[in-house]
Amino acid sequence: MTDTKLSMYQLYKEIITDYIRNKSEHTLYSAQKLSMEMIEKDMSPEEMVSLHLSVIKEIVDDLPKEVVDSFDLLLEVMIGYGLAHREHLSLRDRQRQLESELNVAARMQKSLLPNEPINVESLDFGVVSVPAGKMSGDYYHYIVDEHGNIGVAVADVIGKGVPAAMCMSMIKYAMDSLPEQRLQPAALLENLNRVVERNIDSDMFITMVYGSYDPREHRFFFASAGHEPGFFYRNSTGEFEDMETKGLVLGVSPKIHYKEYSLQLSPGDFIVLLSDGVTESRVDGDFIEREQLTEIINKYKHLPVQALTEQVYRELEKMQNFQLKDDFTLLILRRNV
Amino acid sequence: MNLNVNIQENNNETVVFLDGEVDVYTASILKEKLNPLAEGTNQSIVVDLAKVNYIDSTGLGVFIGVLKAVDKKGSNLKISGANPRVKRLFEITGLNEVMDVEEDQRKEV
Amino acid sequence: MQVQTHVDIHSEWGIVAARQAGRKLAREIGFGSVDQARITTAISELARNIYLYANKGKIHIEEVVSSGKRGIKVSAIDQGPGIKDVRKVMEDGFTTSGGLGAGLPGVKRLMDEFNIDSELNNGTTITAIKWLR
Repeated sequence: MTDTKLSMYQLYKEIITDYIRNKSEHTLYSAQKLSMEMIEKDMSPEEMVSLHLSVIKEIVDDLPKEVVDSFDLLLEVMIGYGLAHREHLSLRDRQRQLESELNVAARMQKSLLPNEPINVESLDFGVVSVPAGKMSGDYYHYIVDEHGNIGVAVADVIGKGVPAAMCMSMIKYAMDSLPEQRLQPAALLENLNRVVERNIDSDMFITMVYGSYDPREHRFFFASAGHEPGFFYRNSTGEFEDMETKGLVLGVSPKIHYKEYSLQLSPGDFIVLLSDGVTESRVDGDFIEREQLTEIINKYKHLPVQALTEQVYRELEKMQNFQLKDDFTLLILRRNV
Repeated sequence: MNLNVNIQENNNETVVFLDGEVDVYTASILKEKLNPLAEGTNQSIVVDLAKVNYIDSTGLGVFIGVLKAVDKKGSNLKISGANPRVKRLFEITGLNEVMDVEEDQRKEV
Repeated sequence: MQVQTHVDIHSEWGIVAARQAGRKLAREIGFGSVDQARITTAISELARNIYLYANKGKIHIEEVVSSGKRGIKVSAIDQGPGIKDVRKVMEDGFTTSGGLGAGLPGVKRLMDEFNIDSELNNGTTITAIKWLR
């Protein structure tokens, strides 16, 4: 016997002897602690059964033969449990490894998103994007061009998790490779659609809304490829309007023309772009209504826009018991002055 | 999380009656049933959604995959009986522009 | 003198016979009761694999000696369909999920050495050794 096994043997013998004498809860508690040590030292269930038998043989004289024989059966069965236990340990290790790979991938994915804040005097900007799992199928983008126009985009890849995330990185690189007209929403979606259509599985698709804000005219131009409609908040009426658009999702058909829309913003007006993870929040099994969503936004609209998006996220997260069913992205653009 | 698929031939149309939810869990069931239909040439395929109350984006992806396949074979894919919530999904995604989405439902025998 | 036993596997009776022969030899070589049970379980799994996937085959059990160490070597030989993806069947959780028992990863864990040769449509030979400590 090895030293550990010998000391286990001694310890277990003391515990059993003590228990037979006192039947105390205290001794049972010692046994529980011993079991933790045994598991940590990788002692298998079959070894435990064998240990028990040798100890009991030593402290009980003339153990009935039937009892001794019955241990053969227990040993046989415990080998099966022991194997299941070892398999569980090896699967746990593999899960840890996968988890750490995913963590690295998730960090890489984050680096695909813009991280410089937008500094345009007349605008207040905020965005929250949270994956349901480790990786996201949502994508957002913003950029300020040399004329001071602000381009914003929210895209949603079908499904979620790793496959969606891989597809999302394609969108990012496709957008980077597009030529000059990047801030003209309809033309941008048309170009992007051609790239996506060529590179995507036949039952995958991507929805995207792209908008461009001209801070001189305070006009927001936008086009949508089958994306969940955003909201336009008009400060003068205090009402939210749906940004209804037409346009096919990206990746279905190679030659698609997108319609361009525009909105005139007065001070205090704001634009809400979102992914369907926001509108498909399920509260007690029911989908949240768009009106409920605008009520929540309305409640926090006095806040700076970044704080506003974060508060809306927190409230929806809480309503869903902190379990996101889908990736969540909310982006808001407000005209200040 | 269940989807029943019943396929019937009606007046030169193949009608696929769905009952349940078309989502990430059931999408593969639907794909398996629709793919063989999509292989035929010059077919009229109607998917009836009268008993479907929810479709998620993965489910929608199945319809897109089938649409691409039937287009290549000169067949036609139609959606019938969609409830307002489901119909709205086809409208938002612009799919109603590339396939017929009818409100009337087909009769299941 | 080294002992060698061959058992034909074409029914569950063969599985039992192979177990019995293995346990007997393991005891004779001097394995303790826990290792005897482990070796027997490994033989059982190998024999069951033959029975389930190749219908028939053979189990060889023999004593081996190497650099002064004694051990038991179990070989499972069949002319069945072969294993298409060995890596897959050696993955944890592949066979056990359906309640099919410990599977080949289990056999590998129970023994000290494990080797598998499989050719599609030509059969599979698996050998496993446990050394006496």
